[in-house]
Amino acid sequence: MATLHLLSRSPFTDTSGASCLRLLGPGDGLLLTGDAVHALQPESQPFEVLRALPADRPLFALAEDLDARGLSTPDFVKAVDYAGFVELTLRFERTNSWL
Amino acid sequence: MKFAIALFAPPHAPSSRRALRFAEAVLAGGHQIVRLFFYQDAVHIASSLPVSAQDELDLPAAWRSFVTEHNLDGVVCIAAALRRGVLNGEEAQRYARASHNLEAPWELSGLGQLHEAAQDADRLICFGGD
Repeated sequence: MATLHLLSRSPFTDTSGASCLRLLGPGDGLLLTGDAVHALQPESQPFEVLRALPADRPLFALAEDLDARGLSTPDFVKAVDYAGFVELTLRFERTNSWL
Repeated sequence: MKFAIALFAPPHAPSSRRALRFAEAVLAGGHQIVRLFFYQDAVHIASSLPVSAQDELDLPAAWRSFVTEHNLDGVVCIAAALRRGVLNGEEAQRYARASHNLEAPWELSGLGQLHEAAQDADRLICFGGD
């Protein structure tokens, strides 16, 4: 069953992102929200890890959180609005929130 | 599709605002919210006492309006609420407290309501963290 993983904490202050990546299987998706979008800071270690993920683990980020932090959307990430967020939770069979 | 939405973070946490925007998008997309469940520090969202700065979003008020306007089932975990001083009139009377701070549309109930919502809904989405 494909799972959408939902992250909200900065990878620079919290290890939930690293734990999540260990569980991320083929077909699973990852949605970065809140401070978790700091993982897309260019040239950072989390950025390189995400860029190196296989293509069968699609990456998404909440557009408003990217905008609020002045981050651009890399080509390996799809930015979504809230309607897109809802659509993602339906496309994947379940959503796992890393609180 | 039927959604159940659970919140875990206090009103000032970004995730509590994100949960509201998500819930609005669920209804805007023509889907149904079978229950909202406020757990842990999210019980403070249901308190009628928080005061927001004038230039900030009053999230407890925004949630209250959303739940009222759409006639949603807004359940607040009773154990989490009581230990944090969030009480309705009935509980204030039961525990001999001088005042209460939980009014309609909010309802105090047990964790079983989250379990039931998860069974009823096609999707359970949880919001917490930053």
